[in-house]
Amino acid sequence: MSKKSRERVLKQAQASFHYETPNPESVLKEKLPKKQFKMNQMDAYLYDKIFETEPIGFFRDAWLRFRANRASLIALIIISLVVVLAIIGPMIRPYTFRTQHTEFGVLPPRIQGLEKLGICDGTLVYNLQKSELEDYGDSVVKILDEYIWVYRGREIEMVTVKINMYIRRGAQDHYFWFGTDNIGRDMFVRVWRGARISLLIGLVSVIINCFIGVVYGSISGYYGGKVDMIMQRITDTLGAIPFLVISILFIMVLGAGIQSFILVLILVNWIPMSRMIRAQFYRYKDYEYVMASRIMGAKDRKLIFRHILPNAIGPIITQATLAIPGAIFAESFLSYLGLGIQAPEPSIGVLLAEGQKVLTSSPHLTLFPAMIVSILMLAFNIFGNGLRDAFDPRLRGTEQ
Amino acid sequence: MNEKILQVKDLHLHFKTYSGMVQALRGVSFDVYKGETLAIVGESGSGKSVTTKAITRLLTQNAMILRGSIAYKGNDLLKLSESEMCHIRGNEISLIFQDPLSALDPVMKIGRQITEALRVKKQMSRSEAKAKAIELMHSVGIPDPVIRYNEYPFQFSGGMRQRIVIAIDLACEPELLICDEPTTALDVTIQSQILELIKDMQRKRNLSVIFITHDLGVVVNIADRVCVMYAGKIIEVGTVNDIFYSPQHPYTWSLLSSMPSLQSSAKDKLMVIPGTPPNMLHPPKGDAFAARNRYAMTIDFEREPPLFRISDTHYAATWLLHPDAPAMTWEDAKHARGIKGGTQA
Amino acid sequence: MSENNQIVLEVKHLCKYFHGRKGMTTKAVDDVSFYIKKGETFGLVGESGCGKTTTGRTIIRLYKPTGGEVWFNAERIDGPLNREKTKRVTSKMQMIFQDPVASLNPRMTVEEIICEGAKINKLFTNSADLRKQMEHMLDLVGLTKEHATRYPHEFSGGQRQRIAIARALLTNPELIIADEPISSLDVSIQAQVLNLLNELRHELGLTILFVAHNLSVVKYFSERIGVMNKGRIVEMADSEKLYENPVHPYTKSLLSAIPIPDPIIEKNRERIKYDIGMHGYNASCMPAMHEVEPGHFVLLSQPELERVKRGEAL
Repeated sequence: MSKKSRERVLKQAQASFHYETPNPESVLKEKLPKKQFKMNQMDAYLYDKIFETEPIGFFRDAWLRFRANRASLIALIIISLVVVLAIIGPMIRPYTFRTQHTEFGVLPPRIQGLEKLGICDGTLVYNLQKSELEDYGDSVVKILDEYIWVYRGREIEMVTVKINMYIRRGAQDHYFWFGTDNIGRDMFVRVWRGARISLLIGLVSVIINCFIGVVYGSISGYYGGKVDMIMQRITDTLGAIPFLVISILFIMVLGAGIQSFILVLILVNWIPMSRMIRAQFYRYKDYEYVMASRIMGAKDRKLIFRHILPNAIGPIITQATLAIPGAIFAESFLSYLGLGIQAPEPSIGVLLAEGQKVLTSSPHLTLFPAMIVSILMLAFNIFGNGLRDAFDPRLRGTEQ
Repeated sequence: MNEKILQVKDLHLHFKTYSGMVQALRGVSFDVYKGETLAIVGESGSGKSVTTKAITRLLTQNAMILRGSIAYKGNDLLKLSESEMCHIRGNEISLIFQDPLSALDPVMKIGRQITEALRVKKQMSRSEAKAKAIELMHSVGIPDPVIRYNEYPFQFSGGMRQRIVIAIDLACEPELLICDEPTTALDVTIQSQILELIKDMQRKRNLSVIFITHDLGVVVNIADRVCVMYAGKIIEVGTVNDIFYSPQHPYTWSLLSSMPSLQSSAKDKLMVIPGTPPNMLHPPKGDAFAARNRYAMTIDFEREPPLFRISDTHYAATWLLHPDAPAMTWEDAKHARGIKGGTQA
Repeated sequence: MSENNQIVLEVKHLCKYFHGRKGMTTKAVDDVSFYIKKGETFGLVGESGCGKTTTGRTIIRLYKPTGGEVWFNAERIDGPLNREKTKRVTSKMQMIFQDPVASLNPRMTVEEIICEGAKINKLFTNSADLRKQMEHMLDLVGLTKEHATRYPHEFSGGQRQRIAIARALLTNPELIIADEPISSLDVSIQAQVLNLLNELRHELGLTILFVAHNLSVVKYFSERIGVMNKGRIVEMADSEKLYENPVHPYTKSLLSAIPIPDPIIEKNRERIKYDIGMHGYNASCMPAMHEVEPGHFVLLSQPELERVKRGEAL
């Protein structure tokens, strides 16, 4: 609250505060009924209040907290939207990701509703010689400017025109919502199919990493001592190898493709998760409730799976969620470098690579994949942060 | 000696939270006389820490003072600006917290922490401040002050750290020292040393002290007068003899007899206070202690009792002091401790 | 309170050393010996760092002792144990911890928490019997069976500690080690839990090792007390005797430091300082436990013992 609004609230509260301090003199003058002075609680057995509300388990508790965080909720909705579109996007268009219309190469986006407003109407702005204008015929939508350009001493009349590319290429009946690429493939389908691939790779690799990381970290963290030391030295060594070098090597040996890609992503990316689990184990294994169970005779396995891991679930889910955009970005990055998915299968990185070559002339080829990957990463990060706040054990069970 | 250095009058403080308005203080009034030690006793949630924060104006943003005044040497502290208040803090009023570890900056040498206040507030030169700091460290009982001047807080034990905090607090020679449970986290032998130190400093510098604690033994050791707080109100106030030899409020009775002392025998039954402190979002009607009070009367649930006068020094807010109430004293309550029922909740 | 003078727990010369860096060894527990009879409460008291918590945890086999013996019901239980012996220890010796928040698994319901010991040790074949016993426990500690389906975070600190007590009592233990069970609680709640423990131990005839730093509480609660300092027991006696006639200077200093809520007495007390160097112990003059009067043991060196026998105060 700003200082002014705080003061306003304070004044309001002060004004509406009607409290009468009891005054002993005036009270003694009052005639209070004698029966008010009977003690009636002397033998009462005061029980604990029965809880009025339902028991709230861990996940429901976390969900309630999560729901209260607007930003995370919106992020979750956005992610869901992207996932839904990734699934159905390619299906709702009459073309597949590989259908080519070479004659319709590099068309800008054209969307039915928005073209009336002048955006996404399938036009591009060109500077042409006035003499060439007739060639374009029908496709000239509007002449924006006329000017003289001096070139090698000659004056040439130039015009800046808006050309409707669809009419020019003879594609008036077609609508490509995200435009097309250089061989006429529908970018809408390609982008969402690319998103699908990227999400799939991201999700699968994170789940596998989670699994490996949890197992490794649990053993390392729970047993400690020599076991821990050896295991940690192994991770230190593995983690020191640069990711790029390793991925290039692997892809060269195994060839590009979704499977080898996932393999690359799980090579060393389980290490942060295992470190986090190990830290959680170190933290929780000396907690009193673990000691209590150990005293009662619980075996190691029970302690790990029943007592420590369930309490570390929150951070695990959070870390996994926050790792997904990293995986997606890693995939995009490697694909961009050319180590990526094989053509004609698109992924975000492949699309970005293709679009980068013609960035200035056809920005729409880069714009849409970049937007998707940015939105995804931002949404996942906000969602992950919201999860962390929702799961945070410090908030759970503290006194009011 | 009868001069009042601090007068808190009818302080009402509410906190604005997501769940509503928490009524932390509901009409707190007390005085602190020059050179005396006033103890404030109460369980957590009673409002004792909030009171000290209100006096030093170190409250959080959502605190709303709805009514009342805090007069320090005649000036209402609540009406001062932040910069004027900054001058008061340290120079006039100082505060010792419970946890000495978090009261000291872990990355700053302790010598510098002591001189920091001197250099900023008294504009002393570095050498003057250092000399004063070493003298202070010596007077609070830190051995080898010249060497330890350059050490960090982690190199000291809990008791030593609390001494450093006391040295920092006394550096600018305040007149009122507020101690918020300074010995709760310390071992009992260290606690007695710190209490001795505070009493010593008080004598030497004629300090007035407000001492917050929940330990009644500590109260007896260090205080002249006692305020007992419950649910944001002062429910009994008096000298140490008044409170310990003739308490009038049932809550005070419970406090005095709920924890064993060295003198209790194993056969004594504890007079346990059942239940938990009330929810300050919706304080109960009438006397807030009524629900946990074995000696509650019908009127306790209807109307708040006023602070009845027992003597010039002794006041208590309980309907038991009303002429129409049944006669009930602490002796009666102690005898009745054998009665079954109402042990726990 | 003793029945048949049967000794439930006996600790002989127990040592627990922690090896730190650069060869530094912390002697957390250094030659501690005591015993507890059936139905008795033995208090282990001392300031922070004296080793009382470590002693409790070593006895209950959370730590491996560096030396010494632990005997439970005339069976030696330190060192590796076979299956039956382990089961005897895990079901018959229980612990109540200091932190009520950390001692209950936040992901388990109250019912699951309380019944865990019985389930691990397979004490009940019939789940209905187990449930009845669990409800009986809840009732004993002043909670109701509606509380069984709840999660720990819905309870206050005092209630959580009561759940921990119910958990410890379910397996019908022969020894309960209570490690500072009330120190983390609010003062008025401390009294509630202390009262509950007191009632339960009288009702059920419990044998308790009560570890705490508050000597007033320990004195009230225990029949016998051992005072620990720097890993050793310096004095051990019946509670009243310890208070009336302390012999070891540390005990005297501890007693003098505890404030008493009685103005006339407190204002006239003198604090007694203690300095560990005052004993003058060295390699040739090592202290040992000596019985200065029946049931009253003090850690003294030979010259100190002579002085005590002569009636001098140390």
